[in-house]
Amino acid sequence: MKIMPCPLNGPRNISEFVCQGEVEIEPDPATASDRDWADHLFMLDNEAGVVREWWYHVPTSYWFIAERNTVTDEIVRTYPTEELIERGGHPADFESKS
Amino acid sequence: MPESDQLSVRPAAFARRSFVYRRLESAGAWFAEIGGAAVAARFGDTASEVETARRLGLADLSPLPRVGFKGAGAMDWLAERGVTIDGSRPNWSWRQGDGSLAIARSNTESLILSNLSGNRYLCDRLESESNEGMEARVYVLPRYDGLFWFALTGSCAVACMAKVCGVDLRPSSFVDGAVAQTSVAGLTTTVVRCDIGIENAFYLLGDSASAEFFWDALLDAMREFRGDAVGLWSLQALQAEVK
Repeated sequence: MKIMPCPLNGPRNISEFVCQGEVEIEPDPATASDRDWADHLFMLDNEAGVVREWWYHVPTSYWFIAERNTVTDEIVRTYPTEELIERGGHPADFESKS
Repeated sequence: MPESDQLSVRPAAFARRSFVYRRLESAGAWFAEIGGAAVAARFGDTASEVETARRLGLADLSPLPRVGFKGAGAMDWLAERGVTIDGSRPNWSWRQGDGSLAIARSNTESLILSNLSGNRYLCDRLESESNEGMEARVYVLPRYDGLFWFALTGSCAVACMAKVCGVDLRPSSFVDGAVAQTSVAGLTTTVVRCDIGIENAFYLLGDSASAEFFWDALLDAMREFRGDAVGLWSLQALQAEVK
């Protein structure tokens, strides 16, 4: 069984978690084109390498961030959402500062 | 009240009853009334049930009072009302002066369980005062109807839990007071180590809609250890031994 280190609950079986997709910049709904909005909603970047993803611990309804290598399926690091906010506020700001 | 009168109650006569009362009835439980609900007090001879509880026993505590509080101000609000709890330490529990248990499920959510006597004073007091807590960002969670509450006790409890739960619950790493919110027998469950007397004990709380499944799954897992259902009185007897 693969182990996910949850920032709140500690190491747990991966079956207790759900991956909720890439952390990405939400386009401005007021100005985004239909193409950009559709790209945001339906298309994945699907990068090879270390990506930043939303993960969810089902028994505690706890959302957090995980950095995972999509090539090796290695979990590099996990941390609470608050850390993302502290480092850059909105994920969009975080992207530009990291 | 004489024992014969106490044990004459039937769960169906109460508006509130355990989620597994049909299982308990078919297993031959004798019920006693606590706080307007029928609790499985014993299944046979209490003395032999105590011995079962020392080895591996499963008790249904679902009819006992419990209540939850959630919100950014919930932990401070509880502390102001005399509840020992620390929101900076999620997944931990604290015994209160009257034997109740306060559980921090996260930084902002708590669960209060009554003592084994079913004393509902603390739960009722907090619930009645919660109306004034709205400004303090405290919201009451009526856990009585949403969560089943079982107790798994005895020297084989850890080995039995290892069959149905991936978290290391050995006493060396999961000490008295520890809380794990995890998957048990495939069901989202809150596991609380809350020793009764000198015996290892786990409180198990989960979605009431799955209570019968969970009860059956645990009894099945307990079979190889010769574990069985026990009544509330056997747990009270274990607790009284150290007083």
